[in-house]
Amino acid sequence: MASNSALETTIDKILNNTEKDIHSNIQSALSESQQKLEDSIPKLESEYDKIISDGKKEADKIEKQIIGSSDIEARNKQLMLLEEAVDKVFTKALDQIANADRSGDYSNLIKTMLEESTQILGTSEITVFTNAKDKDVVQSTLSQFSGAELSPDTIDCLGGIIVKSKDGAMTFDNTIDARIERLKPLIRKDIASKFGVGN
Amino acid sequence: MAAQGRIVWVSGPAVRADGMSDAKMYETVTVGNSKLVGEVIRLTGDVAFIQVYESTSGLKPGEPVVGTGNPLSVLLGPGIIGQLYDGIQRPLRELSKASGSFIGRGITTTAVDMTKKYHFVPTVSNGDEVAAGNIIGTVQETDLIEHSIMVPPDHAGGKLSNLVSEGDYDLETVLATTEKDGQSIPLKMYHKWPVRKPRPYNKRYDPTVPLLTGQRVIDTFFPIAKGGTGSIPGAFGTGKTVTLHQIAKWADSQVVVYIGCGERGNEMTEVLVEFPHLKDPRSGKPLMDRTVLVANTSNMPVAAREASIYTGVTIAEYYRDMGKDVVLVADSTSRWAESLREMSGRLEEMPAEEGYPSYLASRLAEFYERAGRVRATGSPDRDGSVTLIGAVSPSGGDFTEPVTTHTMRFIKTFWALDAKLAYSRHYPSINWMNSYSGYLADIAKWWSENISEDWFNIRSETYGILQREDTLKEIVRLLGPEALPDEEKLILEVARMVKIALLQQNSFDDVDTYCSPEKQFKLMKLLVDFYNKGQQALKEGASLSDIRGLDVVSSILKARMDIKDDEMPKLDQLDKDMQEQFKSITGVKVSN
Amino acid sequence: MTTEGGVQYSKIAEIKGPLVVVDDVENAAFDELVEIETTEGERRLGKVLEVGNGKAIVQVFEGTTGLSISGTKAKFVGKVMEMAVSKEVLGRVFDGLGRPKDGLPDPIADKFIDINGEPMNPEQREYPKDFIQTGVSVIDGLMTLVRGQKLPIFSGSGMSHNLLAAQIARQASVVGTTDDFAVVFAAIGVQYSEAEYFRRSLEESGALKRSVLFLNTADDPAIERIITPRVALTVAEYLAFELGMHVLVVITDMTNYAEALREISAAREEVPGRKGYPGYLYTDLSTLYERAGKLNGRKGSVTQVPILSMPSDDITHPIPDLTGYITEGQIVVGRDLFRQGVYPPINILMSLSRLMKDGIGEGSTRADHSEVANQVYDAYSRSQEVRALAGIVGKAGLTEIDLKYMDVGDTFEKEFLTQATDENRTIEETLTLLWKIVSKLPKNEITKIKDKYVEQYYKEE
Repeated sequence: MASNSALETTIDKILNNTEKDIHSNIQSALSESQQKLEDSIPKLESEYDKIISDGKKEADKIEKQIIGSSDIEARNKQLMLLEEAVDKVFTKALDQIANADRSGDYSNLIKTMLEESTQILGTSEITVFTNAKDKDVVQSTLSQFSGAELSPDTIDCLGGIIVKSKDGAMTFDNTIDARIERLKPLIRKDIASKFGVGN
Repeated sequence: MAAQGRIVWVSGPAVRADGMSDAKMYETVTVGNSKLVGEVIRLTGDVAFIQVYESTSGLKPGEPVVGTGNPLSVLLGPGIIGQLYDGIQRPLRELSKASGSFIGRGITTTAVDMTKKYHFVPTVSNGDEVAAGNIIGTVQETDLIEHSIMVPPDHAGGKLSNLVSEGDYDLETVLATTEKDGQSIPLKMYHKWPVRKPRPYNKRYDPTVPLLTGQRVIDTFFPIAKGGTGSIPGAFGTGKTVTLHQIAKWADSQVVVYIGCGERGNEMTEVLVEFPHLKDPRSGKPLMDRTVLVANTSNMPVAAREASIYTGVTIAEYYRDMGKDVVLVADSTSRWAESLREMSGRLEEMPAEEGYPSYLASRLAEFYERAGRVRATGSPDRDGSVTLIGAVSPSGGDFTEPVTTHTMRFIKTFWALDAKLAYSRHYPSINWMNSYSGYLADIAKWWSENISEDWFNIRSETYGILQREDTLKEIVRLLGPEALPDEEKLILEVARMVKIALLQQNSFDDVDTYCSPEKQFKLMKLLVDFYNKGQQALKEGASLSDIRGLDVVSSILKARMDIKDDEMPKLDQLDKDMQEQFKSITGVKVSN
Repeated sequence: MTTEGGVQYSKIAEIKGPLVVVDDVENAAFDELVEIETTEGERRLGKVLEVGNGKAIVQVFEGTTGLSISGTKAKFVGKVMEMAVSKEVLGRVFDGLGRPKDGLPDPIADKFIDINGEPMNPEQREYPKDFIQTGVSVIDGLMTLVRGQKLPIFSGSGMSHNLLAAQIARQASVVGTTDDFAVVFAAIGVQYSEAEYFRRSLEESGALKRSVLFLNTADDPAIERIITPRVALTVAEYLAFELGMHVLVVITDMTNYAEALREISAAREEVPGRKGYPGYLYTDLSTLYERAGKLNGRKGSVTQVPILSMPSDDITHPIPDLTGYITEGQIVVGRDLFRQGVYPPINILMSLSRLMKDGIGEGSTRADHSEVANQVYDAYSRSQEVRALAGIVGKAGLTEIDLKYMDVGDTFEKEFLTQATDENRTIEETLTLLWKIVSKLPKNEITKIKDKYVEQYYKEE
């Protein structure tokens, strides 16, 4: 029996130990899982935050995009409307110039243009071109410029002259059209500011 | 009679004018209706070829060109220090008053404020005979600079009269007159001198005194002497500018002339912002009080870039003549050479290598020849020096290109910057195998008299370690480090320490940015001691990892930043600690 | 503007390459704008490169194709080329010469500005030091961009530089300010699809309304490319220094610009410098790059991110070489990383931002920034050495510490460098990642960071 009891004691001991082991294993597993759970909470929270913030970023992006493109669209429409208005002013002004009276001041203008042209070209050996309407005014002014002659060919323009050196190498465009073309950006700015745009 | 001609041709900075038969070579002229500044660089018949120092946009044939009768000159007198000039000595601050944030054209200014009063102290008396170069008195230009008023080098001299008494005078005041051969010539606080003509001196000395820059790899390994010449070539990103700034900041000279020749605008701004706040380590005064800046940035007209080098070196010679040590830093001589090339191309001269003119080499030689340690002309006796340091920006980092190769012929110290070192963030990236100094033998005496008799030997030992590492590296590259015996592995280890503890220097670290000669020597000695102790320990049975594992290693590596210049006993202590720690590892092995 | 000038000459002496030589010219100025009229009445623009002795050499921006000796006329306009600018250029698309390309009218000018600009007076510059957060970790962390800097991207053909530039343009912001921000984009000889990608990218981020686009695409005239960056920079300077905006200028691809310059130089039979590029390439490039900056007493800034593709990925080629000498650093795109599929594939060891030191630290990013960045540079550099060594002796021949460095290299590339094109990281996120890399090293390997920061941020895993 003694041996038996010794055996039993041993078995008991082993069982006891095993139970302890199991117990502590369970204990540690439990605490480990608890720990893991606790650990994962901030992680989850941060992931949750990230999802939210990513979503927010995405929404922001789309919002920006929509606002941005509608802003531009509106602005561009405004630009087109403004341009239309400017064009109308231009057309009207050009119309007035084309139909303006060709007396007095106008012949002075032609004279100034001729002076300017001969000076810039550095010669008065020139051929002058103008439109049918201005032919007479130009012809009468030309008498003051020796070496200058009026071309029989007329050109299509609002007014003013084109001056060519007789050898044909140089041309100076002093038509009203060319002048307006050169000044157009400034005139547009001026008109636009009258509409209350710019500046 | 000043020449009066007309422009006949314009192409970029180059202009041809006819009717110029009265013009002289290198005469300055005003060009066009907006009176741009130019210089005659070739005369053919009555046609003058002119390089224009300002943008020629809008210039037309037919516009006038008027000679001034004078060669391109600088104004030399008090008020130069602390200025930022363009390539032809126009103060950029004054230009901005005339044209705002951007540089306008045709603006005339004076180089210094002619109305500012300086306190003049005469050092001669009426009736004294004075000659060219003699000092007649002094003014205090800045806190750091006592400015000698000298009889100009081209002055006839004579008997002094009408000398003013001590007092405050402006630059236009006649301080005295000299009488000679019935002529009376006035002396003022300033005079003018043509930039392309070196100022005369009495005699030249051999450069034997080191220029101390506080940069270890320069002072210890590749030193430059006062009055010497040096060049610093490097590809972009190798830290050329930082190194030059370091020299300009810490060199032990009385005056620094910094020429930004075709470089970045922001770099000059950086100097302007930083230098007034930095203190000279010797005097404690702001560094700006000894600095002159000449800036012709890359986007400023190219011809003025050519002139800027001469403007700078003439100013340097002027302060040298007062008996001062002057350092001139030119960043970059390559851009100067390119401006020569561009003008040469417009002149349609026959090009030599890579389109550079055939006279590139002689121009470089002339420039570097203006360096030197000299006895100035006139009395009292005084010695001054001009040290010339030129950056080179070799295209593609290729040192065989013309500007680098020609420069190497005329300079004695060569600091080769290395892109590989820079990529691994080893700064300053001066390659210790490709650099050299021709002054080593000359200045060794100074180190042995002033720092330590051992200096030359210790330096040779340290350099020897680096040289052996260089050879061993080849083997490692092929076979790996394990193929080496321990004593050779120790060489690699110590070489690594030399690189970190000595060669590398952090210019942005408050302590490390400047290193005194004494500290340089002690750090070097510490490393040599470590090496010798290490080899001995290996023989006595210690292992390499024992040596590597010594606590003292990391202290040695950080000593350059941790130990200040005035804490030298700490370095001695470190040396002692090291010896002790070595005892511990060899001791253990012996008892086994 | 005057009504002067405008003389038209019809004696053409020679047409070669992009150049037209006009004879018997009396009254032309250097740099003057020229209007060329073809026989068919088509108008092209050009400028005077050389004038004198009755001849003017004119460079024609749109090329000389179709021009003839007889019938071609050249009008000297009496002024240099100007760009009409106003606030209304924002949200607009122009061609390479600054003419509208979006079907809208010319902008109503507030000013007309010489496109060549004038050099900034270095004395009037304000030293750049305001950190720009690009949201790209490798840039913000290791090669920080600051306002007023010129920081180019050196890339090679086919790599992802445009993705990166577009990401920078979309995301760039200065933390803690509400100042106006604008993007000026200049496409020089790039494929239409690339330019379009950029435009769409700005549109999708809602940034188009604060952007101006100048497009010279691959099929546009080559010589026009000389002008494109200049009109773009003129607009940028106006927005910055007249309207007080912070302008980011992206120019792609500078290589095409340099090639156009070479073409003109060759036609003029000039003595070439390296690889046939003109000797003045450096000076010419500097007149573009140096237009970045900040000015004393003015609110705005011009920041440049030019992109260039290095021919054969060769960084010593004259274009990247001369660019690198002018710009304040460079961002180098690496072929190896690109092949591995890394985005953005930045080779940090070859990259550098010279102005970083002044743009980071306490008060702008964080006090430890400079030191942790230095340590990461150092560690990555070591990791590359170790990788090379491992290639010879095998992984088995490496020490334990070597292996740690290998790990650092991997972490760096996978977690720090790699980033999605729409991922906008804050500087704090970037710094956290830098510390994650540093924390892979044992503490005694950390030699570049002060102990107090190590204590604060080092986290062993």
